[in-house]
Amino acid sequence: MLMQAERVINRFSDILGKISSILFLLMLVNVFFNVVARYAFNAVWIGSQEMEWHLFATMFMLGVPYTLRAGGHVRVDLIYERLSVGKQSIIDILGGLVLLLPFTLLVGYYGIGFAYEAFELGETSGDPGGLPYRWIIKAVIPFAFFATAIAGLGLIITSILNIKHPERTEPHNNHESSL
Amino acid sequence: MIGIVMFFVALLALLAGFPVAFTFGGIALIFGLIAEGPSMFAFMPFRIQSIMENVVLMAVPLFIFMGIVLQKTRLAEQLLESMGKLFGGVRGGLAISTVLVGALLAASTGVVGASVVAMGLISLPVMLKYNYDKSLACGTICASGTLGQIIPPSIVLIILGDVLGIPVGDLFQAAVGPGFVLIGIYVVYILVYSFFKPEAAPAIPADEDIEHRREHYIRALKAIVPPLALILVVLGSIFAGIATPTESSALGGVGAVLLSVVYGQFSWKMLYDAAEETVKITAMVFAILLGATAFSMAFTYTGGDYIVEEVLSNLPGGAMGFLILSMVAILILGFFIDFVEISFIIVPMLAPAAIALDIAPVWFAILIAMNLQTSFLTPPFGFSLFYLKGVAPAGVQTMDIYRGVIPFILMQVGVVISILLFPEFYGLVD
Amino acid sequence: AAAVALPAQAEKTYRLKMAETWPTNFPVFGDASRNMAAMAEKMSNGRLKITIDSKNKHKAPLGVFDMVRAGQYDMGHSASYYWKGKVPATLYFTTMPFGMTAPEQYSWFYHGGGMELMEKVYSKYNVLSFPGGNTGNQMGGWFQKEINSLEDLKGLKMRIPGFAGEVLAKLGASPTNIPAGELYTALERRTIDALEWVGPSLDLRMGFHKIAPYYYTGWHEPATELQFMINKRSWDRLPEDLQEILRVSIRTAAYDMYIQSYHESAKNLEIIENEFPNVKIRSFPEDVMAALRQANQDLLTEKAKEDPLAKEILESQANYLKTVRRWTDISDKAYLNSIAQ
Ligand code: NA
Ligand code: NA
Repeated sequence: MLMQAERVINRFSDILGKISSILFLLMLVNVFFNVVARYAFNAVWIGSQEMEWHLFATMFMLGVPYTLRAGGHVRVDLIYERLSVGKQSIIDILGGLVLLLPFTLLVGYYGIGFAYEAFELGETSGDPGGLPYRWIIKAVIPFAFFATAIAGLGLIITSILNIKHPERTEPHNNHESSL
Repeated sequence: MIGIVMFFVALLALLAGFPVAFTFGGIALIFGLIAEGPSMFAFMPFRIQSIMENVVLMAVPLFIFMGIVLQKTRLAEQLLESMGKLFGGVRGGLAISTVLVGALLAASTGVVGASVVAMGLISLPVMLKYNYDKSLACGTICASGTLGQIIPPSIVLIILGDVLGIPVGDLFQAAVGPGFVLIGIYVVYILVYSFFKPEAAPAIPADEDIEHRREHYIRALKAIVPPLALILVVLGSIFAGIATPTESSALGGVGAVLLSVVYGQFSWKMLYDAAEETVKITAMVFAILLGATAFSMAFTYTGGDYIVEEVLSNLPGGAMGFLILSMVAILILGFFIDFVEISFIIVPMLAPAAIALDIAPVWFAILIAMNLQTSFLTPPFGFSLFYLKGVAPAGVQTMDIYRGVIPFILMQVGVVISILLFPEFYGLVD
Repeated sequence: AAAVALPAQAEKTYRLKMAETWPTNFPVFGDASRNMAAMAEKMSNGRLKITIDSKNKHKAPLGVFDMVRAGQYDMGHSASYYWKGKVPATLYFTTMPFGMTAPEQYSWFYHGGGMELMEKVYSKYNVLSFPGGNTGNQMGGWFQKEINSLEDLKGLKMRIPGFAGEVLAKLGASPTNIPAGELYTALERRTIDALEWVGPSLDLRMGFHKIAPYYYTGWHEPATELQFMINKRSWDRLPEDLQEILRVSIRTAAYDMYIQSYHESAKNLEIIENEFPNVKIRSFPEDVMAALRQANQDLLTEKAKEDPLAKEILESQANYLKTVRRWTDISDKAYLNSIAQ
């Protein structure tokens, strides 16, 4: 059961990683295009300029849960690195329950109201030619935080499984191993 | 009071080894709940949005991407190796090359996360490959990556200009001298260090054969020119008015991809993999920013800003006394809070006293900027250290990084003191 | 509010939290909010205490409206046109291109129906809004090249946000978004050709006079009015005397900021002209102004068609302008013209 949950959650986070990677490439093209258009043709589209940060923000926000699953978030490993997998798992379970889940869930919760307000007002960019439907980019906040909570749950489950099945070697903090 | 307790609890929690970003966020949550209840966190979406909208931060993923592509195509490796070889039998050549490339990157971005990570990706593997001492390698990278802070364009200088009411251009100009001094001191330090400890920074063996020396130089130049040209194009695009500093990092990213095509290293898989790695490292950096904004919110909204204000407003004694004490205060605070908080919360408290004491604003600003640059490097909360750890190969431990930055911190403190004592030398007072 | 309040009640202290859009110690704008809070506290003998959180603390310069509306803050100091993406009709309570000057606009607010219209717009959102200090006439901006004809506006890359940017775009210019931190480098390196900021009062410290030769006089923000806003529930909680004290403090602080801004602009213009004699102050040629005016009119007509509330406000402003401008013409304008002869 737990293993199944772990698989589903990891899959979910991986998909977010794929989306983020594509959003990054789009952002690169977007910025490059805007520079060339402005310099070579004096052509500026505010909407296209705003799209830059929309892509950028969505990219890193959705990247957070993916990076959690991929073990890419930096830790102070003065002690952690010397611990057994079992003890590392206990730290991750406690950290997940006490630090990560409450934080992400509460911010995600307030993010809903934040995005809903923009939806209710029909908020758009304040600049002419800017992008409409501000609620979409604002909704990225609750979505990304809940997704991070889900990825955090995945971390907890992985840690439980690591304790229950010490023969499993699912490393926690080795970003290379996740590549 | 709560703010102080919060610091020490965060310190202990970080030591447990749970990811830094969520430790900051979680500790902020616990203390925020105790002090004010959950409603404080209704501010969080606003704070997050201001990070999302901060287009200057786009330089972070874009430079990371450039670094990854240069690394994946081995162009960066060849650049540094060849530069190291050009230094011939000089020990520490790779580290010096790292400082120089770091200085160039610093001149094209003002975002520390961008240059530290890019330098970590580009040069850490190379230095390790040539058996450099881990600490020296890490210290060099953190310090030269952090140069972006003082060498214009720089976000710190822009913020300080805003807070102190000094034209940004004046500050940019004033920062060039101290920036060069810092670069010079780093290079001298590496030379001296590797002279006394050859095994820490071995010279790259040059080709012995005299006949082939010419060929060797040509090969070296061939490896140096393209990636160096790329970095110069990035810089040039700012100076030519083609792009803003942030946008120039996109030109760097596209340029790196083009180079990979030219060198026959391009594949769609390489491109996608580079993007995926960029996402992972970017998310690591920004998760820390998200956690840190929660942390500083909890700190200020529980009255931490008033504590700091009280301490600072009671700083005693004359212009020099005030300067020394405020520098020490900033250095100590730099252990705990990041430069944006310091510039925006602490500096405005110091500014009126500085004006009253008739301290030249530009001098004051450069002192603070240098000092803040140091705060990026000071353990345990120095962001440069986290960033480098996030991209370092598995064998590199936090302790290696902590140990490595200490000499560089001391050098920076030395430069701060020299600016304090000899502002005329730096042209900071009339 | 009882006629004879018990001493204990009279002593009760009311605390309001105010968020401002500006950074800590921001000159002029930030002075206005601090001035207001200090006056209110003094006049109320300490019964009304207003603490100000700057942008550096709340990190949401453009979230002030939402935070006041939601009650996270009781008050805000900002500018109405920042909310036009959320509530389009808020655009009209700051300043309009070719619109009223500061004295004219204050007359409109307090005697020409402006306050009533502002209430009509803001009351829906549980917020009271008051004029919050005027920058006076803003400059048209710093230009790297001279504008001699409409042709020179074509493809002109200018950082000029909002409605004025839309007007310029109609004439073929390219309004461009550049983050504030990169404006200096962008103008210096000619990544953009021009930018508008405020006026001498705040432009001097940005240092643009050192890198751009032309300083154009204004047309697009003749009287930028800031805004104090208060959450309706916070307002209702205050006893009547404190409401009045707050109202008076706000009105006085607004006036104070207008004259402070006038003074700072005069002083800083002198500095710019003395220390940087190469800065050339210009006005746009007649045909450019005529085209801008026409483009502005066309846009306003469009806006009025889209939104009945906008139509009502714009008509009120246009009608009032007719009355008040006639007086400006034969008072201030005639005076300046005749003594200049
Ligand atoms: Na910059
Ligand atoms: Na820089």
